[in-house]
Amino acid sequence: MRSAELKKGIPAKASKCVTSPDLSVNVAGIKMKNPVMTASGTFGYGEEFKDIIDLNRLGGIIVKGVSARPIKGNPPPRIWETPAGMLNAIGLENPGVDVFINEKLPILRSYDTAVIVNIFGYSLEEYVAVTERLDGIPGIAGLEVNISCPNVKAGGIVFGTNVKAASELLTALRKATKLPLIAKLSPNVTDITEFARAAEGSGCDGLSLINTLLGMAIDVRCRKPRLANVTGGLSGPAIKPVAVRMVWQVARAVKLPIIGMGGIMTPEDALEFILAGATAIAVGTGNFINPRATLDIADGLASHLKREGIPSVRDLIGQVIVA
Amino acid sequence: MPPTKLHQATVVLHQEAGRGYFRIVLKAPGLAKQARPGQFVMLRVSENQDPILARPFGIAAVKSKQYIELFYRVVGRGTALLATVERDAVLQVQGPLGNGFPAPEKGTTPLLVAGGSGFPPLLYFALSMRHPLYMFLGARDKECLPPLRAIKSCREQAEKVYIATDDGSAGTRGFVTDGLAAFLDSRNDRESFVIYACGPRSMMAAVSKLAAERGISCFVSMEERMACGLGVCMGCSVAVRTGGYKRVCKEGPVFKSSDIDWSEQVVLPALHRK
Repeated sequence: MRSAELKKGIPAKASKCVTSPDLSVNVAGIKMKNPVMTASGTFGYGEEFKDIIDLNRLGGIIVKGVSARPIKGNPPPRIWETPAGMLNAIGLENPGVDVFINEKLPILRSYDTAVIVNIFGYSLEEYVAVTERLDGIPGIAGLEVNISCPNVKAGGIVFGTNVKAASELLTALRKATKLPLIAKLSPNVTDITEFARAAEGSGCDGLSLINTLLGMAIDVRCRKPRLANVTGGLSGPAIKPVAVRMVWQVARAVKLPIIGMGGIMTPEDALEFILAGATAIAVGTGNFINPRATLDIADGLASHLKREGIPSVRDLIGQVIVA
Repeated sequence: MPPTKLHQATVVLHQEAGRGYFRIVLKAPGLAKQARPGQFVMLRVSENQDPILARPFGIAAVKSKQYIELFYRVVGRGTALLATVERDAVLQVQGPLGNGFPAPEKGTTPLLVAGGSGFPPLLYFALSMRHPLYMFLGARDKECLPPLRAIKSCREQAEKVYIATDDGSAGTRGFVTDGLAAFLDSRNDRESFVIYACGPRSMMAAVSKLAAERGISCFVSMEERMACGLGVCMGCSVAVRTGGYKRVCKEGPVFKSSDIDWSEQVVLPALHRK
């Protein structure tokens, strides 16, 4: 970040001393103490991290995808490391919505952080079923609809790469719940703004982007794919420029608030997404490498605002200067 | 909150240990105090983003409640980079992770079976035990056996160390399981035996079968590629006989061998192929 360049774009009052910068944001009607969240599928249901970091310091937790019934997941190998990233094909393994509500949510509810439940299904009916089951359950701030998992043939991606199917699904879910609805978009499309508009037109309250990029790796000696599922989703710093570009495009196309994600590891990465137009950000693969990444990013954002004399993180949303 | 598992560890010793192995000793008191045999650490080999993932290593020893010792061979980019790390460097390490070996019950005789570079957690286990124990070390050839100092430690702890190589270049010619089977069948105190194995999946499957046929309880330390080591990436899952998968990093790495679904074929590249 070039600070001189940054200062040009911020309000005049920003030059005064800022001792306690305001990190709070409101995404899709969900108030959060800071814009730092955890991306679905990289933080479980918080259980594994509650002994490592103080979950109360997170703006929000987007939990691992939950479906109407338990899902076994894909056979191993499920992951493969790539340059500055990794491929995964977990296959949406999860214990099902009832176990989530009865065993996982009570733990999450005891923390002062926004809990957003990522949901998916293998048909429109299954998406509706899990949405109806979660509607009215206390302790849920909103739903993130996964219409973009690349690893399940009959699953989310069908909705995520077909604008008409996405609209029908999101419209049906809108009728099924009053909870804030956030559509998680796939980057594996020619024009992501079409899907952002479809979500907006279907009554969604916010957008998450991006999900993983569809990828593949091959063992050249045995001539077999590295993943049992053959293809998998690419995540990590390798995809960050693609994600920043898509957040920027979508921010200009729709009014919906955006949760930006894709390779965020550092406060500077988070700032890129915010300047591109994200109201909040989520750390994904970064949690695997540094389990404290979310807290380091929240602290780093506060330091940045102080150093630059910017009163609120909201002053930076979409403030990239494009000549 | 319980004691932290995230540590900054200082490299106090890093040397070639023979037979292609490196030995690295890390000062990490917080980690060393919590560690139990069979647990592992996730070590970041550099601060750079490529390679990005930490690497899992079974703990080979804990010294003075301050230091942990690891052995590794250079098998890919991560370990190649690790081999260049110098003394006094500070590395991010998480641990101890996983469940570890269940302590042997009184009156039992542990049989420790290590294949290839699977010996480090069993070495730590052997060093921690007062039970009379037997060790079985197997490898493709002499150069793939554990380094001499590790074998020496094994000999000091065990009643006897049996060595087998596929090509006969050291010890008995054949698989480690051949020697294990012969040992089991030559003894009439079989009911006191408990087997603990760590090594290639095919070897552990064979050990598991051998134990099941003779009604001997058997524990295996599973190895899978993993991204987080914390139980959230779900990358290290192994198929279990009750259906579905369990996480090597969280429910494992040590499982009862009878719980594993050995029929599921896992296609992993042969890292040590010449």
